[in-house]
Amino acid sequence: MTIEYEMAALKKVSFFKSLDEKKLKLLAYISECIELSKGETLCLQGDEGDCAFVILQGEIDVNVDDTRVITATTGDILGEIAILCEIPRTATLVAANEAKVLAISKDNFLKLLEEFPGVSFKIMREIAFRLEQTTRELAALKAETKV
Amino acid sequence: MEKSLIKFIWSYSSRYQLVILFATCLSYPVSYILLELPKQITNEAISGTDFPKNIAGYSLGQIEYLLVLCLLFLFLVIVSNGFKLFLNIYKGRLGERMLRRLRFDLYQRVLRFPLSHFKKVSSGQIIPMVTAEVEAVGGFIGEALALPAYQGGMLAVQIGFIFMQDAYLGLAAISLYPIQGYIIPKLQKRVLRLSRQRVQNVRVMADRLGETIQGVTDIHANDTSAYHSADFADRLYKNFKIRFDIYNRKYLIKFINNFMNQLTPFFFYLIGGYLAIKGELSIGALLAVIAAYKDLAGPWKELLAYYQLTADVNIKYQTVIENFDPANLKSIQKLTSDEVQSLKGPLVLEDVVYQAEVGASELDNINCQIPYAEHCSILGSEADGRKDLLMIMAGLLDPDKGVVKAAGHCLSMMSEATLGRKIAYAGPKPHIWTGTLRDNICYGLRHRPQSLPLLDKQSQREMQRWLYEAKMTSNPQLLSIANWDDLATANVTQPQQLDNNILEICEETGLSQDLYRLGLQAILNKDDHHELQIDILKLREEFAKACKNDSSLAKLIEPWERDRFNKSATLVQNLFYAVPRTTGFKLEDLLADKRIKTFIEKSGLYEPLVTMGYQTISLMVELFADISPDSELFSTYAFISYDDLPHYQSLLQQCGPGMSKRPPSDKDKKKLVSIALRLVPTKHRLGVVTEDFQAQIVTMRNKFIDETSQYPAQLELFDEKTYMQNLSVEANIIFGTVKLTKRDARQRIETVIREMVEDNSLVKPIRLAGLEYHVGIAGARLNDNQKRQLGLVRALMKQADIVILDEALASKTLEGQQRREALQKYLRNKTLIVGTTDPEIASQFPRQMQLKSGQLANSQGIEQQETDQNGGHDDN
Repeated sequence: MTIEYEMAALKKVSFFKSLDEKKLKLLAYISECIELSKGETLCLQGDEGDCAFVILQGEIDVNVDDTRVITATTGDILGEIAILCEIPRTATLVAANEAKVLAISKDNFLKLLEEFPGVSFKIMREIAFRLEQTTRELAALKAETKV
Repeated sequence: MEKSLIKFIWSYSSRYQLVILFATCLSYPVSYILLELPKQITNEAISGTDFPKNIAGYSLGQIEYLLVLCLLFLFLVIVSNGFKLFLNIYKGRLGERMLRRLRFDLYQRVLRFPLSHFKKVSSGQIIPMVTAEVEAVGGFIGEALALPAYQGGMLAVQIGFIFMQDAYLGLAAISLYPIQGYIIPKLQKRVLRLSRQRVQNVRVMADRLGETIQGVTDIHANDTSAYHSADFADRLYKNFKIRFDIYNRKYLIKFINNFMNQLTPFFFYLIGGYLAIKGELSIGALLAVIAAYKDLAGPWKELLAYYQLTADVNIKYQTVIENFDPANLKSIQKLTSDEVQSLKGPLVLEDVVYQAEVGASELDNINCQIPYAEHCSILGSEADGRKDLLMIMAGLLDPDKGVVKAAGHCLSMMSEATLGRKIAYAGPKPHIWTGTLRDNICYGLRHRPQSLPLLDKQSQREMQRWLYEAKMTSNPQLLSIANWDDLATANVTQPQQLDNNILEICEETGLSQDLYRLGLQAILNKDDHHELQIDILKLREEFAKACKNDSSLAKLIEPWERDRFNKSATLVQNLFYAVPRTTGFKLEDLLADKRIKTFIEKSGLYEPLVTMGYQTISLMVELFADISPDSELFSTYAFISYDDLPHYQSLLQQCGPGMSKRPPSDKDKKKLVSIALRLVPTKHRLGVVTEDFQAQIVTMRNKFIDETSQYPAQLELFDEKTYMQNLSVEANIIFGTVKLTKRDARQRIETVIREMVEDNSLVKPIRLAGLEYHVGIAGARLNDNQKRQLGLVRALMKQADIVILDEALASKTLEGQQRREALQKYLRNKTLIVGTTDPEIASQFPRQMQLKSGQLANSQGIEQQETDQNGGHDDN
């Protein structure tokens, strides 16, 4: 895995879409590349999260309360909220087959934001969009239940 | 402290000043004869005719006479310069000694400041005062008496000569002195005021500079660099203005002085001429007087310069010492007394009143009694005055009114020898000293030197001289090279017991785990830890066995094997299959070794390494060009320093992408190679270290080892059977590197090692090795929790009668609670007072007091005690 490849993977992640190539490359460089064998656990539900994972290769099973909810695949990001605030992991991640993921640590990400305050704003916008979308969905859901 | 510099000089160096004066006077006739002798040589020996001459009973011909005079001249040259040499060295030494005395006095005064005074002064101002500002005083001291005496004497002789020629002319010669004596000090006074302002302004500048450095992150974060630049520029302008004013006045004084000096000849010519015409004065006498007056100018100028220098140095001295004379300065005896009293008795506060400067309530009429060996908590916030109260109880602050007594002794009257040994105080943010963990833990035992190390004759002579100089300057005669750990304070008799004590207290406070972890990271000193090194080699074997039996463990590490490339290690380690022998070793030094450079070149690796280095810096410049120099990202991840960035930027521009324009110079190539050699393939993932290249490196490595009869001295070859001196304990056990691509590999390996260490009973020696861990500048390499625990360990080490802990046990977790219980058990025979903001923590102690807005309220313990006391009275 090279930085260039990892950068290309990050580019496809919508959470980071507002970052330019140079910053993505830096983000990739300061992150760790982790190799997983099949069945290896990446993180446990309830543990304190301190990094986000971007799948570079292979697939990861997302299990909640020992039940597989979804299988994430190349280009997906998992646990991204952990790089902004301390919350326990909401799911256990297990490699479905041989996989490589990029672990972006909270500390490093915050240092990057410190260096480029403009990025914080873009990330904030992205989160606001998501919040707005979730609120809308929730409202729709509520309306549906009422009906 | 002496308020005036002259008084300071006189009271400490009068004897030496008189020696200087005496030697100066003695040198005067020698200089005079030396000036006369050439005249005698030319007039009498060379052009003279009256020979033979009779000298001391010898009859001398012309040539012999010339020879005698010339030899006398040579002798006097030597004597005269000898005097000068003696005087200069004597003056210099006196100046340096006085400076040392002054600086030490100032330093000791800093130690004697009451703690509350530190809220008013800043280190940015105090430091230049003790270091730079008093420097000028040293140079001046040697001249302080001799110069005015000598030049004044010369002046008096010349004036006397003029008076002897003619009293009127004499009066004319000194007629302007009163006017000069009136005007010049007036102008000088203004200069002095300006000098004072200048010193103060420079101090403020130093202060601002210090503040800028401390708050630089916030400056960048708030984009206020312009704001601070403007402020600093303003200070510089003030400095310029003051200095310019000083120049104006200084040179005005010079102008007036020169003018006055030349005004006098005007009178001479007028009055003297008139008297000569009238026939009342001979022309010869007039010319002699004018010549004598010219000679007056020399000493007069010197005296004026001396006057200006004295005034300037005096003002510097005063502006320094006025900052070192605060009210209620502690007495010297308090610091130096060796008397230690036991404080095994109740701690009593009677009508204590204390007004903090800002930020906390006034402590109002505090009365309480804490019997010996009782454990109590004081609940309250800092704003309620908790911190001040605890510091008053520890004898660190003196109350404004009322008394604090321990075992019947008033704390404010006691020496620090008692307060600092019998009372332990630990706050939430203890200061960590630069040094090892052991230094910090034993800090509370280092009151006086205990035993001297064995010294050879040379060092003993050095020490004698050191002691003599200390005596001459009233510096303390305490040697810093001595062993300062006072075992008695720690209540032990043997160094081994001290080690056991340290480990026990670390266990009580929860620092043990960190100590063990730091021990694993320690680089062991061969002499002190020889046995442990042998034991570690056994663990290495066990670990290798464990890897063989457990493939999941083996997957986490990359072992050192001669035929295998280690992707989690640097290229240089891979290429030489070795580690540097010393910690401060630089790769550039390795390339300076011709044998190594030739080897790399011959192996065909040099150019590929240059290319790799070039690719690396291309990426680094691209990624880090916009990162601020103080960002941790830079220091942790960039291969190059911020200062080197411009150099590499221009290198990249000149050589073009992929070095297409021109190859780098030989010097740059060397730098690029040393950058490439630091690459770790799995960490840096630049894609430059290909499989082929890795294979090539392994081939070259083996070739180098096989062909080299003597391995480079800077490197230690990996060898399964020997302990690697410059690797950590953990790296020695693993004998490989932890795979960076495996998450939580380190944790798993730590667990495996922990089990092995426990099975082999090596926990204790590893913890002891951890004591040698260097904590960095002011504990920069420790986290806040470790620092707090370290402060606690330090406080407990000295086995004090009264232990006061302010927010030092703040953790609310179950572990924190257990620690508090363990601590109470450990201190069951001592008085323990714990300050906290948390009611839950407070309730864990048998007696609880509450401090609200500076008043002890709801103090359950006291009520209890009053009831007890009343009960007692009733019984009586």
